[in-house]
Amino acid sequence: MPDTLSFDLQVRYADFMLAVRADVPATGITVLSGPSGSGKTTLLRALAGLEPHVTGTVQFAGEDWSNRHASARGVGYVFQDARLFPHLSVADNLDYGAKRRGIPPDKVRTVIDALDLGPLVHRAPATLSGGEARRVALGRALASGPQILLLDEPLTGLDRARKADLMPYIARAVATFGIPALYVTHSTFETATLADRVLSIHNGRLTGWQPAPPRLRAHVAQVDAGRVLLGIGDSTIWITGHGRLNEAWAVPLGESYVISTREPGDSTADLTMPCRLAEVDTEMQEWVLEVAGQRVPVPLVDESSRWTIGQALWLTLPNVTGHITGTEADDIL
Amino acid sequence: MSLWGPIWLTLQLAGLTTVLLLLIATPIAWWLAGTKSRLKPAVEALTALPLVLPPTVLGFYLLILMSPQSTLGAFWVRLTGEALTFSFSGLVIASLFYSLPFAVQPLQASFQSVGRGMMDAAATLGAGRWDAFRSVALPLSRRGVLTAAVLTFAHTMGEFGVVLMVGGNIPGRTRVISIEIYSAVETLDYRTAHILSGGLLLFSFVVLTAVYMMNQRGVRAGA
Repeated sequence: MPDTLSFDLQVRYADFMLAVRADVPATGITVLSGPSGSGKTTLLRALAGLEPHVTGTVQFAGEDWSNRHASARGVGYVFQDARLFPHLSVADNLDYGAKRRGIPPDKVRTVIDALDLGPLVHRAPATLSGGEARRVALGRALASGPQILLLDEPLTGLDRARKADLMPYIARAVATFGIPALYVTHSTFETATLADRVLSIHNGRLTGWQPAPPRLRAHVAQVDAGRVLLGIGDSTIWITGHGRLNEAWAVPLGESYVISTREPGDSTADLTMPCRLAEVDTEMQEWVLEVAGQRVPVPLVDESSRWTIGQALWLTLPNVTGHITGTEADDIL
Repeated sequence: MSLWGPIWLTLQLAGLTTVLLLLIATPIAWWLAGTKSRLKPAVEALTALPLVLPPTVLGFYLLILMSPQSTLGAFWVRLTGEALTFSFSGLVIASLFYSLPFAVQPLQASFQSVGRGMMDAAATLGAGRWDAFRSVALPLSRRGVLTAAVLTFAHTMGEFGVVLMVGGNIPGRTRVISIEIYSAVETLDYRTAHILSGGLLLFSFVVLTAVYMMNQRGVRAGA
C-alpha cells in the first residue's frame, strides 16, 4: 500500500472552525482547492504544526506527527510570500534547512541544478524578482529533505506567464525527488496544469475528491537548448522547458482546449489532433475521448449530446504546456 | 586625577548595566512582542514606569527594597557580607530598573517587525525555538539590539536621582559623573562642573545622533 498523509484535525477560532479528515495518497501533486476563507491555509498550517489552536491527529507514512513541534515534522513548507531570510544569501537560505536536517551538500547541489538556482546563489533575497524568490523558496524547502511538500499558493501574485514558467519546476521537484505535494490554490490554471488529484474544501469542511484534470501522456523525444520535443502518439511538438530524453511528461488540456467536429484547418493553435468519442458516462458527467491511443476523460459539454460514440472529432490545444511526471516514460500517470 | 574616578565608575556602571539589561530585557521584549495574554498591558506599563516616575520615587522604593531589613537586602548581606544600599552592586540593580524601558522598547519593536512568519519558516526548516530565535529573530533585530544597548548605556551614564537615593555620594563607590557635577557645583568648583557637564553633553549628543542615523539607514534600507 502506498504511503498516505492521514489527518483528522479540528481548528477552532471565534469566527471559524475547521474540521477535516482525509487520507491523502503520498504521491504526485494533490491540489487543495477552495474559495478564499475556506480554510486551505489553516489546514496546511495545522499539518505543518504551525497552528496553535489545533486538536486531532496527523500521521505520515505511519509516523505520528500529532504532538511534534513543526521543526520535527518532515514537511517542506512554501509560503505565499516566499519568506526568504533577508539577512542570509540565497545559498545560506538553501543551506538553512539542509544543515539542520543533516542533508549532505551534494543533495543541495541537486536541488540547485533541478531548479536552475545556480546563477542566484550569491544574490541577496532583496535583489530577487518575485518569480526568482518563489523558486528559491521552493528550493529551500526541497533542500531540507522533506517527506512531503506543503505549498501554500506558491505562485499567487505572479502573472500568467511567470506562473507558466514556474509550474514545470514544481512538477520537476515532485517527479525528480519523489516527494509528494499538497498544493493549495484557487487558480483553475494551476489546478488544470499540475493536479494529479483535487481535494475540495469549503467553509472549513472537505467536500470531496476529483480526479486529475484531463491531460495527455507524452514523452521527451528530443532535447534542445531550452526546449524539448514531446511525442504524443504520432504527433510531436516543441515546447520550451528542460528535460531529458525519454522522460515521461504530461500535457494538460488546460482551460482553453476545443473539441470540434471539423478539422480547424488554418489554425494558429499550437496543436491539433484527430480523436474519437469513445464513451459517454452521464453519471460521472464526463465523456471519454480517444486520442493518440490514449483514453482521456473530459467533462461533459452541451454539444456532446448530439455526437455519437465513435464519432471522429478534433482536439485543439491553443497553448501547449507540459511538465515532467516521471523519470522514465513508462512509469507515469 | 579626581575627575577620572567618577568617569571610570560611571563607565563601569553603564557597561555592566547594558550587558545585564540586554540579557534581562531580551526575554521580556520577546514575550511582549509575541504574546496575546491579557497581562500584556500591565507588563508593558510596569516596564515603562521608569519613563514617567520621578527618579526619587523609584529610588525611594529601591532603597526600601534593598535595605538590609528587606528580604532581598538581607539575602544580599548573607551572600556577600555587605549591604546593597550605598554600594556599587546596589547602583547596578537600581540602574537595571531605571533603564529597563530603554532596553525593552527598542527590542520589542524590532522583534515585532520580524514577525511570526519568519519564525514559522525557520520551524518548518527544522529549527527549534531557541535555534530560530538565535539564527533568524536576533540577526534580523540587530538594529534594535544596538539601539537598546546604546540608549541603555547613555541613559545610565546620565543617571542622577536614583543614584543619589540608592547610592548616596561615596567617592570610588557610588560617586558617578552626575553626582560629581552636583558636588562640584555645590562647592562652587565650576571648572570641574564645566568639564564633566560638557563631556556628558557632547557624549549624549553623539550617541543620539548615531542612533538616529542608524534608524534612518534602517528606514532607507526598508528594514
